[in-house]
Amino acid sequence: MRCDEVRLHLLDYQEGRLRLEAQNAVRAHLDGCPDCTRADTVEQELTRLLEQRLPQHPASLALKRRLAARWSQPPASRSWWSRRRASLAPVLAAAAVVLVAAPVVYYERAASRVAREQTAMVAEAVNDHLRLLASPRPLDVESGGLHQVKPWFAGRLDFAPVVTFEGDADFPLKGGTLGYFRDRKAAVFVYARRLHSISLLVFRADGLPWPSRGLTRINGVEASVAAERGFNVIVWRRGELGYALVSDVDAGELTAFAARLTRTP
Amino acid sequence: MLSWARGERETVGVSALANQALAYVDVLHNLARYLTGNETDAEDLVQETYARALRAEHQFTPGTNLKAWLFRILRNTFLSSYRRRRNDPTVGGLDTVAAETDAAAPSDWLLGDVELDRLRKVVADEIEAALMTLSEESRTVILLDLEGLTEVEVADVVGCAVGTVKSRLARARAALRQKLKDYAR
Repeated sequence: MRCDEVRLHLLDYQEGRLRLEAQNAVRAHLDGCPDCTRADTVEQELTRLLEQRLPQHPASLALKRRLAARWSQPPASRSWWSRRRASLAPVLAAAAVVLVAAPVVYYERAASRVAREQTAMVAEAVNDHLRLLASPRPLDVESGGLHQVKPWFAGRLDFAPVVTFEGDADFPLKGGTLGYFRDRKAAVFVYARRLHSISLLVFRADGLPWPSRGLTRINGVEASVAAERGFNVIVWRRGELGYALVSDVDAGELTAFAARLTRTP
Repeated sequence: MLSWARGERETVGVSALANQALAYVDVLHNLARYLTGNETDAEDLVQETYARALRAEHQFTPGTNLKAWLFRILRNTFLSSYRRRRNDPTVGGLDTVAAETDAAAPSDWLLGDVELDRLRKVVADEIEAALMTLSEESRTVILLDLEGLTEVEVADVVGCAVGTVKSRLARARAALRQKLKDYAR
C-alpha cells in the first residue's frame, strides 16, 4: 500500500471497518512508515477531540414537548383495543403463527409422508426386479407369446392381469413369473431390450400411495417416472390394477416401452 | 414562518413511526444546530423535518436506518430553506452553507510534536468554531460519521456516490485539522 492509500483508509482502520486483508496491509505499512504512523496519531487525536470535546446540542425540553404534543400518541385518547394491543400483540402473534403454520406443518408432514411412501414404492419395484435378476430360475413360464404367459397366472392370483402388449422386435416378451409387490402378489412379465431385462409388475392398486404430482402423460395414462439405484422406474394405475415397469434401459426407451403397454388395443 | 409554526395538530402521521422518530430528536437537533449555526433556526429545522418525515412516512422502508432517513430529510429541508432564503432579499441569516472552501489536502497531516501537544489542549469552543468554518457538506459528513452512519448511509444523506464518501470525509477532516492547527498556536 502507498502512503496516500493508507491515509485515505486510516479512519476505517481505526474503526475496524476494513476487511481483514486491508486491515493487515495498513498495519504492516504503519509498522514501517513513521510519517503514516504520525498521521495515524493525529487522526486518532482528532477523533478523540470530536468525540469528547465537540459541544453537543441536544433539543431543548420545550422543543421536545412541542414535538411530543404534536406527533406522539396521546394515551388518553387511546381505545381499550389500542391500549391492550401492545400487551396482547405477542399472544395474537403467536396465535397467528399457529393458525398459519399449523396447516402448513400438517401439510408438510403429510406431503413428506406421502413422498416417503412413493419413494418406497419405487424402491420396492427395483427390489422386485433385482430379485428376479438374481434368481437362478427367473421365469416360471417362458414363452414367445402373451397367450401362453397370461393363462399361467390363472389360479395363482386373485386378479387377472390386464396386459395386451405381446412384445415386438424391439421389446420381445421373454416370459412371466409370480412375484410380490409390497403386501400383495404380483404378476411379473419379463420383456427384453437388447441384452437388458425389463420387468413389468402388475398388482392390485388399492391402498397404495400413488403419486399425484410430477406425472407424465403416456397414452392418456398419468404415470410417474423415477430413477432408483441406476434403474428407471415407471409406475401407473389403470382401473383397479397398478403397474410398475423397471429396467436399466434409459428412461426414454422405457417410456417408449410404456407407451406400447398403455396403448389401447 | 415554517408550516409547523401554525400549531394545529396533524390528523395523520401519529403513528408508531412517529414515536420511533421522536427518539432521534437530540441528534437531529445537534446536526441542525451545526447546519444553521443558531438555536432558533435549528428548532425550526427540526420541527419542519418531523413534519415532512411523518407526512411522507409511507416512503420509509421498514428495516432501513430510520435515523439516516431523518438526517436526509433534515439536510434536504435545510438546503431548500437556505435556497429559499438566499433568493429572498428581505431575509438575512442562514449564511452557513457557503463557508470557505475546504482546500486542505488530506496529505497535510504532519504536525510537529509541539503542535500535536497543543492540539490536545484545544477546548470545546475552539473545535466548534473550527467546525463551523467548514463548508456545510464537510460539517455534515464529519458529524454523520461521528453518529456512526455507514458510508452508504452518508452517501444517501449527502446525495453523492458511495465511493466518494471516504475521500470527502478525509478532505473534511484534513480541513478541520488545518483550522485546529491555527487555534492551537
